[in-house]
Amino acid sequence: MPETGGEYARILSLARSGATSRAWDIFVAAGLDRVDSDFDALTLKGRLLKDRARQSVADERTAMFDLARNAYEQAAALRQDSYPLINASAMALFAGDRVRSELLANRVLQLIDSGADRGETPYWCEATRAEALLLLGRQADAAKSFQEAVELAPTAWEDRAVTLRQFALIATQTKANVAWLDRLRPPAVLHFNGILGIASDNHTAAKAIQDAIEAIAPGFAFGALAAGADIIAAEALVGSGVELNVVLPSDPSDFRLSSVAPSGADWEQRFAALLDNANSVTICGSSEGTSAAGVMLAEYHAMGMVAELAGQLETRAVALRIEPAGRPVLGDPWLKSGRELHRVEIEGNAGLPSAPLPKGELVFDVAIDGAPPETYLDLDEALEVLATARDQIAALDCRLDDPQKVRTLLTHGEAGMLVASRSAALALLAFGAVRRVEPVGEMAAPAGPVEICLTKLTKNGG
Amino acid sequence: MTAHMTRDDIAVIQGCFGCTEAGARILADEMSSRSVTHRAILAIGGDRSAHLLLVVEGAVVAELFGVDGQQAQLARHGPGEIFGAYPDESVFRANMAAVGQTRLLTIATSRLRALAGEHAEIANGIANLLARQLDLVLDRMAARIGLSATGRFYRALLQLADGDGHIEPAPVVAALALSVHTTRETASRALATLVRRGIVLRQETGLRIVSRRMLEELIV
Repeated sequence: MPETGGEYARILSLARSGATSRAWDIFVAAGLDRVDSDFDALTLKGRLLKDRARQSVADERTAMFDLARNAYEQAAALRQDSYPLINASAMALFAGDRVRSELLANRVLQLIDSGADRGETPYWCEATRAEALLLLGRQADAAKSFQEAVELAPTAWEDRAVTLRQFALIATQTKANVAWLDRLRPPAVLHFNGILGIASDNHTAAKAIQDAIEAIAPGFAFGALAAGADIIAAEALVGSGVELNVVLPSDPSDFRLSSVAPSGADWEQRFAALLDNANSVTICGSSEGTSAAGVMLAEYHAMGMVAELAGQLETRAVALRIEPAGRPVLGDPWLKSGRELHRVEIEGNAGLPSAPLPKGELVFDVAIDGAPPETYLDLDEALEVLATARDQIAALDCRLDDPQKVRTLLTHGEAGMLVASRSAALALLAFGAVRRVEPVGEMAAPAGPVEICLTKLTKNGG
Repeated sequence: MTAHMTRDDIAVIQGCFGCTEAGARILADEMSSRSVTHRAILAIGGDRSAHLLLVVEGAVVAELFGVDGQQAQLARHGPGEIFGAYPDESVFRANMAAVGQTRLLTIATSRLRALAGEHAEIANGIANLLARQLDLVLDRMAARIGLSATGRFYRALLQLADGDGHIEPAPVVAALALSVHTTRETASRALATLVRRGIVLRQETGLRIVSRRMLEELIV
């Protein structure tokens, strides 16, 4: 695709973030809609038309899916490749042309069986075969083939999620019963947190937490590691083979001093062992140490990461709260999101040492086009203002004690979209105010790099 | 705390200076590895600066006190960045403090200048490092948006591959990470994701990119 590398990436980012119309406008402005001899341009055109079709009213939808089918078929004519061909088959089905869909699905099977196309990866070779079989109505064969794809790459979770999403759409169109898909769904993603002040040998608490984790059966977990319920839960998760991702409000050495060491040396050892076993350690707060505001930011960050991964993997996002009975749960952003929440009610052990954290301040900065930035202490208030932005460029950042940077974010925005720092984007996901966030790159800043995301508020966001 | 150079350090020097392994060994003979804990003070503004320091792990911030007495961050040097004195010894303009567990490779300014005079490839490497550092500073002033850390790592992997997608021998992840200004941990996780999804295959002789298109799509 001549001279379109940067533009191609930008269009793809916009499409992934849900900015379908904007992505299409740039595609057209670049003249790519008139290109009919470039494989990449044609497959991108098919993808954009497919997205537009899904957002169209019923009358236009069929015609739009047919245009997508045509783009994919044109791409397939340029290269022996199952990727555009299987998409053309699905688009034909969505356009209501079952005969053409089956014709194209049969061509996919022939191509794979001939060995001329091995798929982009072993997983995709078998998953594409499974999709062709599903499009032909051969459900049992499709299920068997999908199972084989999963066995070829059991941890290719992201790819499996794409297949699950596509199969669900096909099943809706054909009214097929695909309950068998649930067997192949990736395990749940868990956010955990709980109270401090539990004796390190409180076996009753440990058993209750272990039982809750077994019932949820997550595959991935995110949370902090304060002495008490956090560490007990994290140990149970690691012991159950769950991938542990630690999210801390400060450097591990600071966090150990503020939130682990005051409870005793044995907790410090357990903290260190869990850090060694973690799949990842994210530090999202301040370099100045642990504060209550930093803890809140880390909670938003971890909850957002759970929502993000669950969305990518097409699976459940679940929260586990470990608290005394009767403690009010108001203020937990997870409740606003409407996602699944489990509670384990345990009593802490009275009289254990604890050290209060400095308060700190977490603020949300909003900027809309040329207006001066405004700062809010509450995300709900910031969301109310952002909801008025409509087709303007809007930006959101959240920060502790670092300088304001929301105005510089605006320069990387798109009309009708919200550009957000990754911290702010994850807070939005935690609150359920957006469905997905699309990373678009990293902004260089004197205080260190800032990851930038594009997103769109859901209708009830705010 | 200082320590001797490891094989990975040689690869790191080679990657950052863009020199041959022989050139990296010459530099390594003059360099020391220094590890410091989170918030360790490396220098106070006004201290004599007689070394060039390369950040291998963690980060170093330059902090100044303003006229109002508030501490302000002047700069942050992440993995693969340099700070200190070159070509002449100097004084630190600000307080330098570590962020997170930090490891540095240090070399005396006078020795580095002497090596640059003796070895063209080392002089060339210093020029490249300084030019890259200037680019970073200008990017920060302009709040420029570029690829994410994983995006930069994926692009670097693609650039190493031959026409058939082979990367031989396998790259030293720590060195490749630093050459794109990211951490070894980020790069290791990014590579593990590619292997997990079957996009890249680990082979005895190196790596093989199985799907160039899927890898390209991840360059964001």
